[in-house]
Amino acid sequence: MNLNIKLIKRELDPLTVTQLIIVGLILGAFLVLPVSFMILRAFFHKGSLSLYYFESLVAGGDFIKTKPETSWIELVRTPQGEILIIGRKGPDFGIFLNTLFVSTMVMIFATTLGVLAAFIMARYEFPGKNFFKVILLIPMLATPFVNAFVLGKVLAVNGLVNYLLYETLKILPFKIWVTGLPALILIQTLSLYPIVYLNAYSSFINIDPSLEEQAENLGAKGLKLFLTITLPLALPGISAGAALVFIFSMEDLGAPIGLSGAFGSGLHEKILSFRIYDEFRKGIGSIEQVHASTYAMAVVMLIIALAIFLLIKKYVTLKSYAMLSKGGRWKPRVRRLGVKGLVPIYVFLIILALSASFPQFGVVVLAFTDWAMSKLPSKVTLEHISALLVNREVFRAILNSLIYSSVATLIMLLVGTSAAYVVARRKIPGRDLIDALSTLPIAIPGIIVAVGYLLFFATYFSQTPLDPFFNPGLLLIFSYSVRRLPFTARTVFAGFQQVHESLEEAALNLGADRAKVFFTIALPLIISNVISGGILSFVYSMNEVSTSITLSNLNPNQGPITFYMSQVIYASAAVGTVSVAAALGVLLIVAQILAISVSNYILKQRVAFLGV
Amino acid sequence: MVVVRLKNVSKRFGKVVAVDDVTLEIKEGEFFTFLGPSGCGKTTTLRIIAGLEYPDKGRIFFDDEDVTDVPPYKRNTGMVFQNYALWPHMTVFENISYGLKIRGYSKHEIKKKVDEVLELVQLKGLENRYPTQLSGGQQQRVALARALVIEPKVLLLDEPLSNLDARLRVEMREELKRLQKELKITTIYVTHDQEEALVISDRIAVMRQGRIMQVGEPDEVYRRPKNLFVATFLGRCSLIEGKVVDVDKDLVTIAIDHIRIKGVLPDKDMKLRKGEEAYAVLKPEDFALRIDDPSKANEFTGTVEWLFFVGPFNQIRLGLGRISILVNVEPWFTPSLKSKVTVYIPYEYVIILPKKEQEVCQET
Repeated sequence: MNLNIKLIKRELDPLTVTQLIIVGLILGAFLVLPVSFMILRAFFHKGSLSLYYFESLVAGGDFIKTKPETSWIELVRTPQGEILIIGRKGPDFGIFLNTLFVSTMVMIFATTLGVLAAFIMARYEFPGKNFFKVILLIPMLATPFVNAFVLGKVLAVNGLVNYLLYETLKILPFKIWVTGLPALILIQTLSLYPIVYLNAYSSFINIDPSLEEQAENLGAKGLKLFLTITLPLALPGISAGAALVFIFSMEDLGAPIGLSGAFGSGLHEKILSFRIYDEFRKGIGSIEQVHASTYAMAVVMLIIALAIFLLIKKYVTLKSYAMLSKGGRWKPRVRRLGVKGLVPIYVFLIILALSASFPQFGVVVLAFTDWAMSKLPSKVTLEHISALLVNREVFRAILNSLIYSSVATLIMLLVGTSAAYVVARRKIPGRDLIDALSTLPIAIPGIIVAVGYLLFFATYFSQTPLDPFFNPGLLLIFSYSVRRLPFTARTVFAGFQQVHESLEEAALNLGADRAKVFFTIALPLIISNVISGGILSFVYSMNEVSTSITLSNLNPNQGPITFYMSQVIYASAAVGTVSVAAALGVLLIVAQILAISVSNYILKQRVAFLGV
Repeated sequence: MVVVRLKNVSKRFGKVVAVDDVTLEIKEGEFFTFLGPSGCGKTTTLRIIAGLEYPDKGRIFFDDEDVTDVPPYKRNTGMVFQNYALWPHMTVFENISYGLKIRGYSKHEIKKKVDEVLELVQLKGLENRYPTQLSGGQQQRVALARALVIEPKVLLLDEPLSNLDARLRVEMREELKRLQKELKITTIYVTHDQEEALVISDRIAVMRQGRIMQVGEPDEVYRRPKNLFVATFLGRCSLIEGKVVDVDKDLVTIAIDHIRIKGVLPDKDMKLRKGEEAYAVLKPEDFALRIDDPSKANEFTGTVEWLFFVGPFNQIRLGLGRISILVNVEPWFTPSLKSKVTVYIPYEYVIILPKKEQEVCQET
């Protein structure tokens, strides 16, 4: 014991202590404390420990419906003809089960599409492959709200699909309208499948071909080979992607708000994330006005997200097969196909690419034409784009976003580099905790962070710069710093892992203390990882939705881009402004493409998207 | 120039004992080598001396100063890492001058010292290259220069030659030895290559599983191994197990079946009595086909079981009933298989070791 203290003392040089303080302070004050406080609050009723709020949630009848509405499809006669409506009256199992239903379905569909696409791209060679490589990733370019709005517009009663298939081509006997939960599932599947696709693709690519060749050598082939060798080896990567899809679907606010913009209120609002968001929209003026059942809902969501995250993390760690074969470059197994094989592949890829990238193209069209006001775009215009600079409110939102994201990026770099270095290099107790805390934010729905901030800072920091009712902007900076930390921390950590420790030991040996080693050796060696991580974190901060659109309600002047977009889409009062939201979406798309290009081609960092 | 002393130093990683109660003294200006198979704890011992690892038990002294708690950056040792650990973002000049800058030398002094050391390691003119633009041998010299330029108290070398090709390795080990004698710097060297250790060292510590098996000058550990591990790790040998049948002053005779082998104990403190079990260690190069004084040598006659062409000599596996021995013979001597051959080995070359000794080295 005595000895351990001595060892720990040796590890705690001034640099490490400073880094630990930085990490502890930011993560403690802006993640652990607010969320813990919120959890406590949900379990306390009238001064004593109780499940009162949870019970009243369930008792309300809307949380879990005992007699669920399951009439999914209805055929309605209207003056304009018959309409087949999917998802308006049902399914509706109550808020809680709806959330699980949507996330589970999205996970299943996204995983199926993602794995299929990944397998095709990883194992077959066909003309146009590089084109599909790019186009399949387009849904990754986040354009919150507007993409859902576009899809809503396309699928609406008077939307593009009905116009084409019913009015013009007359293929359909009736119009189709998809809304409610099915619409939500459709939109989220299309925007989230790339996460599984990327994870599965890299898993397939990283399987040593000799493992499959050995199986073939022993007589396995086709589906048997896939099910016994390929899939099991890729499963950890695939399931990590699937788990993230589940969590992202559950916390998503962009799709329900976008659908509300397109269709008005409906069943797509009967999910946990939207219900919590709704609480913020009521125009609360003080913390007492927030209903405590909101905290209970947030806790329910947090428990589901954390359970999924921890389960999958455990599973992936257990199943991460250390590939026995020595590293080195191998030629991936790629097969050329005949016409018989090419046709289904093209059909699948074209349908997938078309429907998945349509929202992004739609956003561009919305931004540059008058489509927002007509059935089909009729003229090209730059008026919406110029509004970004001319419209004072829009410009202020852009400025807010830039300021918040820049400051947040600096904080993330400081915290992320510190955490990554301590985890990679120091042998101290609590190292695993730091590691966990710096990746955990991926699994914590933003809406929960928002609720936690509101409760914690309004209670303890009232009338200070951290008061959410005066200064949501400052809190947004910290929420971005915490929520997007995993991107920085992971990129930087990967850098430190690539630097052989002896490079730092050599400097120690020559007389440099640890701070000097860090600044003259370790940091310069991974500087491109740091910059790359910073750029990505910056862009992902610009895209942040959940906390931006909730906390900003408390003081709309401090709202960032996504808040402005949500206001415009949800209210959709003045029609022209939807186009401005689309213009903002284009701005975000451009920023993302720039960031990824700089990381990939200038800094030569392979931008790994996400993994558990 | 310092004396380095280790006193009861132990270090474990989890359940693995890396260094087990090591006590020894490395003399001023000595070229001292830790030799052993991989995982024997030699590199950990070196890193403990550098301060990069902290021992669980024991103390380390430089002269009379206890440096156990001194952090690595205040120990003033110069270490050359197995992978050289050259900083890829710095030029040769920047790499070498790093330690000098930290010590606060003026620009002028730094330039002068770097020039001198580059001269010493014969790398003049490469100051502005980056490590990736150098050959393996050149990188090795830069790493050495970087360690030497700070005039360290102790030079620590962790398998510095293991990444070089065979020819360069032989050249560099001679150069290392020359430099060390020129600078008279206390040098601690770690290697798993027994030939390298024998050639380069003033003294060798043979290590196994964290413990020191024997310390001595190269010829001493090679000719007079004190235990089976050292005997089998250094060079090849035939081990014959038998019972002691006679002890006559220094000479011990063991018997297996009808064969008698006479030899000596490696250490005066060792004792063997009649009836005890023992091993005879026979090095193949100590055999001869003829001998001047057969009265002081063992004589074995056996059948040739196999003949190996090694190059400088031929090696014969000679069958003696249930046992067989390896014998080196002149390259022109090529007996046919199954033929009878008689060989001699002087008593004083045969080492007898008590059986209650440790196991054989598994690497040979």
